[in-house]
Amino acid sequence: MTTGRISTGIMPIVSEGSVADAKIGVRLASRLPARTDDSDLRELTSLAVQGDRTAIESLLGELRPMVVRYCRARLGRVSGQYHIADDVAQEVCIAVLSALPRYRDMGRPFASFVFGIASHKVADALRSSVRSAVPTQDLPDGPDDGPGPEETVVRYIEVEHARRLLARLPDNQRELLLLRVVSGLSAEETGNVLGMSPGAVRVAQHRALARLRQMAELESA
Amino acid sequence: MTPEEESDALLDALARGELPDPGDPAAWLLAALLDDTLGAAGDDGLDDGLGDVGQWRSSVSMTPST
Repeated sequence: MTTGRISTGIMPIVSEGSVADAKIGVRLASRLPARTDDSDLRELTSLAVQGDRTAIESLLGELRPMVVRYCRARLGRVSGQYHIADDVAQEVCIAVLSALPRYRDMGRPFASFVFGIASHKVADALRSSVRSAVPTQDLPDGPDDGPGPEETVVRYIEVEHARRLLARLPDNQRELLLLRVVSGLSAEETGNVLGMSPGAVRVAQHRALARLRQMAELESA
Repeated sequence: MTPEEESDALLDALARGELPDPGDPAAWLLAALLDDTLGAAGDDGLDDGLGDVGQWRSSVSMTPST
């Protein structure tokens, strides 16, 4: 049995060994759709480029959740909400749709093309001052079924801790980990986005993970 | 398996929503971040994005450090 220690003042203790571990996996995995096979995605992209509306919808349905997660991870919350990140994700999808007729399959995964656009859109958003304008939610009429204040605070602390440590990584390493884990790109796809060979991605991601691990352990010591 | 291959396998597992070793603080942090970017209703990206880390965390007992 292993014990993970998160240095935000929260120490998760796995008390039920592999049973708890399995539950964690199931919890996350059940919320992540399986990715479409590469060859199917290539065929879908080919049809979408030709203007097939059903293929375009399917392609966006496949890629949009990955783009949303990426934008959320890169831009974070503003006033507790992901409005800005979700707006940027929407811009990415529109830009992909606009560029679709001009897209030519050069042997690179379509996801690399999409995340090339996403990376630029996120960089634009980070440079702009749009983050200051934040819509607020209306007061709820009924009971809130969401997590309570204590659980929400614990969650925020932990996720902000993750963001803070990731922010201390070199830009390339941070981008690499987010593309691999949050967007779910393969090492090959990530390499295509970042202009690296798959081998270089594997070496760099190993260093990034080691550095992240070291920082987390130092803070919890 | 080389350390680089182990890291590659770990990242693949995290991307699939698996947390092979909750004792690995780097894996835990990345899993928490991934979970937070998922919507409460799943990966539709349409909700408020609060996620439900707490639901999977509820299977792990938590105690605040002092």
